[in-house]
Amino acid sequence: MKDSCSSISQIMERYFDRQATDEERTLVERHLPDCPVCHERLRLLEGLREAIKTPVDEALKEETFPWMWEKIEKGIRLERRSSWWESLRSWLDLSPLLRKKVWIPVVATAVVLLFITAQIILKKTPSYPGASVVEYVESDTHNVMIYQLEKPEITVIWIFEDPDEEAAVS
Amino acid sequence: MNDREAELISRCQQGDQDALKEIFNQYHKKVYRIAYGVVRHREDALDVVQEVFIKLFRSIKNFKGKSAFYTYLYRLAMNTAIDHSRKAKRTTFLSLDEEGSFQPSDGHEKRPDHIAARKELEEKVRWAIDQLPQDQKATMIYREIEELSYQEIAEAMGCSVGTVMSRLHYGRKKLKDLLKDIVKGREGE
Repeated sequence: MKDSCSSISQIMERYFDRQATDEERTLVERHLPDCPVCHERLRLLEGLREAIKTPVDEALKEETFPWMWEKIEKGIRLERRSSWWESLRSWLDLSPLLRKKVWIPVVATAVVLLFITAQIILKKTPSYPGASVVEYVESDTHNVMIYQLEKPEITVIWIFEDPDEEAAVS
Repeated sequence: MNDREAELISRCQQGDQDALKEIFNQYHKKVYRIAYGVVRHREDALDVVQEVFIKLFRSIKNFKGKSAFYTYLYRLAMNTAIDHSRKAKRTTFLSLDEEGSFQPSDGHEKRPDHIAARKELEEKVRWAIDQLPQDQKATMIYREIEELSYQEIAEAMGCSVGTVMSRLHYGRKKLKDLLKDIVKGREGE
């Protein structure tokens, strides 16, 4: 029985690619000598493969791969250097922090702390604007400090009764 | 994967460049065939080979050994070559317009008629292959140039054998139409 071209064409590519089963191969090989159409189809497949493959084979035959391994080694070296530099840069880079706006609470906290600290420091040093100390007397029970203001002319006498208690008389 | 290859891969994963060199010596010609099959230009193909092995050294840690190593490497080569080809396409057209004709890139072939005929054929084949969708193009190159089996292609491309056969069939059909003159002309040679 002669096999039809349509049934053969379904297995022709597998046959051409040497992926057909033994049974399929026998079927095609029995059909081909009597069928110029399928024979032509096979020759077209061969022609196409040759057009694609031959230039590649020729190029490879002539290729010497000049300094190829050295270039690869250099490429790896450059990549390592750049990755080291990148990691250093990312470590130093503050921009992600700025982008995330973490700086707003940080700055606000710093301002509040500075304000509180300044209050504490200024509170411990009693002073009058434009005043100058004219006399300071120390004794076992009391310490006395006398200030003189220029405008208006006022004299302030500061008596320290106790280290923890202070009294001002003007 | 044999024991020797497994050992080389393991050493390479730990950053051993001597192991990479051995892998290079074993596979660079195959990678070049795939690269040349896609880009169809000597210097570009050499650039692709270089890039593939640098990428391999960087990414080999991700190779878990679930598939054969050569399919992993071929996939890397194919993707790199296709990317390279896409980037180089504009530049190539530009230089063609400026120069008006192709110049041989090296001194391998001395006969002017041979150079011209080969360049013309190369250009037509490259143009035709570039008309194929990416998956068909890769399948055609794996099969026609590297002669991988359907199963190996399926593994390299992460698809079924049926899909491979379908891509081959439609790819060939389109290429036969586009390269009709060349394919018929070569038959009579």
